[in-house]
Amino acid sequence: MMNQSNQTQSPNNVSLLISQSRTNTLGNKTGTWRFVRPTYKEKTAPCTNACPLGIDIAKVEMYASKKDYQNALNTLLMENPFPAVCGRVCFHPCESACNRQFLDQSVGIHHIERFVGNWGLNNISSQLNYPALNGAKICIIGAGPAGLSVAYFARHLGYRCDIFEKSSRPGGLLMSGIPSYRLPDRILLDELQRLNNDGIQFHFQHTLSMEQLKSLKQHYDAIFLCCGDDAPISLKIIGEHLTIDGLNLLHQIRTQKAPPIEGTVAVIGGGNTAIDVARSLLRMGANPIIVYRRTRKEMPAHPHEIEAALDEGIALKECVAPTAIEKKTHFQQITLQIMKATGNSRDGRQTYVPDDNRMETMQVNHVISAIGAEMDIMWHNDQWDLSLSHCQMKQIGDLPVFWCGDLTTSEKTVTHAFASGKQAVISLDVLRNSGIDKMATYFNQCQVGDGPALSFEMYHHEGKRAKLNNNDIVQFDRVNTAYFPSIPATQVKKRSKENSISSFEEVITDFDESQMIHEASRCFNCGTCNDCDTCRIFCPEMAIQWDQENRYILMDYCKGCGICIEECPRDAMDLEVEP
Amino acid sequence: MKQVLEGSHAVSEAVRLARTKVISAYPITPQTHIVEALSEYCADGSIDARFICVESEHSAMASCIGASSVGVRTFTASSSHGLALMHELLHWAAGARLPIVMAEVNRALGPGWNIWMDQSDSLSQRDTGWIQLYCETGQEVLDTMIQAYRLAETVNLPVMVVLDAFFLSHTYEPVDIPDQASVDKFLPSFEPRISLDLKHPNAIGQMAPPAYYMEMRHSIQTAMQSVLKHFIEIECAFEKIFGRTYGPVTPFACDDADYIFVMAGTSASTCRQAIKILREKGHKAGVLKLKMFRPFPYQFIRKYLSPAKKVIVLDRNCSFGIGGIFAQELRTAMYASEKQPPIFSFISGLGGRDVSVEHFFEMFDLVEKADQPEDESVWIGLNH
Repeated sequence: MMNQSNQTQSPNNVSLLISQSRTNTLGNKTGTWRFVRPTYKEKTAPCTNACPLGIDIAKVEMYASKKDYQNALNTLLMENPFPAVCGRVCFHPCESACNRQFLDQSVGIHHIERFVGNWGLNNISSQLNYPALNGAKICIIGAGPAGLSVAYFARHLGYRCDIFEKSSRPGGLLMSGIPSYRLPDRILLDELQRLNNDGIQFHFQHTLSMEQLKSLKQHYDAIFLCCGDDAPISLKIIGEHLTIDGLNLLHQIRTQKAPPIEGTVAVIGGGNTAIDVARSLLRMGANPIIVYRRTRKEMPAHPHEIEAALDEGIALKECVAPTAIEKKTHFQQITLQIMKATGNSRDGRQTYVPDDNRMETMQVNHVISAIGAEMDIMWHNDQWDLSLSHCQMKQIGDLPVFWCGDLTTSEKTVTHAFASGKQAVISLDVLRNSGIDKMATYFNQCQVGDGPALSFEMYHHEGKRAKLNNNDIVQFDRVNTAYFPSIPATQVKKRSKENSISSFEEVITDFDESQMIHEASRCFNCGTCNDCDTCRIFCPEMAIQWDQENRYILMDYCKGCGICIEECPRDAMDLEVEP
Repeated sequence: MKQVLEGSHAVSEAVRLARTKVISAYPITPQTHIVEALSEYCADGSIDARFICVESEHSAMASCIGASSVGVRTFTASSSHGLALMHELLHWAAGARLPIVMAEVNRALGPGWNIWMDQSDSLSQRDTGWIQLYCETGQEVLDTMIQAYRLAETVNLPVMVVLDAFFLSHTYEPVDIPDQASVDKFLPSFEPRISLDLKHPNAIGQMAPPAYYMEMRHSIQTAMQSVLKHFIEIECAFEKIFGRTYGPVTPFACDDADYIFVMAGTSASTCRQAIKILREKGHKAGVLKLKMFRPFPYQFIRKYLSPAKKVIVLDRNCSFGIGGIFAQELRTAMYASEKQPPIFSFISGLGGRDVSVEHFFEMFDLVEKADQPEDESVWIGLNH
């Protein structure tokens, strides 16, 4: 580069001589100084890593904050068949993992998912286009969360699906187990329209037994057992026959066939079913008391559900285990064994034992057993040809049979059931196309973060987007918080307690658009480039270029200073040693 | 329209009227009110400018250098330690011949920590290539700021408009704020002689080896030498529109004076009071206020001081080891003068201490009695 001293002409003859080049600086290829190079390397956000479905949440929030709802929805639908449902019923482990909690409060991810899910239901353009059928046909037993998920993902891979459901409606637990104040019928039914396709056939009021499975071989290429836990767990105490089954009651309430239940009602159990039953009874005008053998801390129900129940005024009786129920003239009497903590814990929960012979009695109008359900013994099996985190498979004859949903996963949630369906479908596809030996290879390719969630997008699109597969999880200390002033989370709008407990209307109301954008904009977009342009603005060599579509780095001029990486607010860039 | 304005806000108003495009500053007392008002103007749209928040005065000047290199009007304000931190870039701004305008509020440097009036900060920057103009009143501040842009852009040198801490920066006075149309007439939009252009990228301010460097320095000095002429022309143009003029120096009762006080800043007002009283007592005394310090207007100084019998200089600063800085500069200026009245150097009013009418009488008494100045500057108003 030639330096030239430049005397410019002045209107009033003032001398002006500075160093100024005759040409531009393109000749000064500062890239020769470089020994480390920046690259755009997107990483997995902790929310995505925690999501059983491995949804690319950072991307969803990015699109949502830009009001690009179609792309936000498409990103959700890539991994999750029913975002409007999940936005309401998922226990959102994403929010517990959210990096924003270390700055102020986690992003309200489920509210945003719910908003985008609702948007999808209200916009015809969100109708899915399924690919052509591939000639293979599968049989799905049970139209609950796992079965619906199998149908959704399998149809996306071209499988024709037959779903056999013993009841007369689809949805399984979503329809019969979750009260409508958490998931209104309308939302579920609208969202199930997504499975409305010639390649997916529902057969209602149709039960199948283990024995009948073998005869299906000639009709199907695989079977998916998605029938869930439908055998109520027995209390195994005297007078058990006097109790009402909680799950059945929830089903009756949902179908408006519940018997009138009034007065004081003991709800035995500490899981989500117990909470759902108690809150439903409250809405029917009864006075429920949750009876649990340990304390609130050990209750397996989700903490926000417990909190909601107690806020609504439901009593919780802790550290008592029922030992007998007797029918008296006007009430039922429960004998309760008082329990005490052992000081030991199992699975992170304190264990309890009877406190000598300390007993008490409780007089109530009804007793509900809500300690959950278990698998029908008919499906029991412990010899597997393939055993994965969310499903298991056994070849019966030559027919692969997958055990899905609650039949296999230890965490019995809607989202885990969806994840199970996805994993089972991917397994079948690998099995058919590449054989069981290739399973690990494919699973590695589509594993999200450090697992166990699998990305359907990664599988379906053959790993074209490597981001979700990155097991480098963005930690809070790698977020450049200089770019993120503390902004409190959007206040969740709830109906008043009086309003809530007088009907089965949804308690938590939808975010309006401005609330949703405010909340989505709080997302750091950990590890996801959201085109904020900070790297380009800060590059001292103007080596970062943008052509409306892609951002790229001119390596002739990048001197490897690393300022772009330092400044990137969201850890979407890396510095690599020159090869 | 006349308004009662704080001295600081006289600066802010001028920056607004000059249609400055980029403002970058870091807060420091007693300068802060200036940029506080400007940031509000930026926020409420009273001025179409970009306010760049920075982490230091060094960066504030760097921002101004960048913006000015693109050919837009820029402004910053600083004081004391902030100005000291800018030092490196003050050289750069002048060497790059960028017409940046800065308001500098004269404040002492620590330790001891002191936020009050003192000339040490601006005078420490005398060799950086910046034009320095010292003001006495709110009106002079506003007028000088507007003139400063035209001067800077004419000679391609940065201008520092200096005002005394608190005595001027925080004092409210009636100030005539000119209307925008008149200011636009006096100060048309900036037509840069050199500017970076995205369409034709090139480098400026890069390596200048021995074969080139000296000419560039000579060019700065040549430009500096032309400032006085341009300043007078600009003041004439200003007077035609606004009816006010100040001159590079402002004499008061100097025509027949035997004793002439010399100083810059607000002390000149106090000194005029002292002169009136001294005149009533029959002493032929006057005061020459210095407005322009860089370039040093020695032509005017010789003209006014040559006839005097004795010159009395008040420095509100001290160059340790030699004394008052204005006195040294005056001695240099007068050395080549045909007539050379003795120059008596006094230091007073450091770190915001008042310089009163009585202090001027004290200086006058000492000078009147002395045949020759002391070798060293004499300190007035020390607590003994």
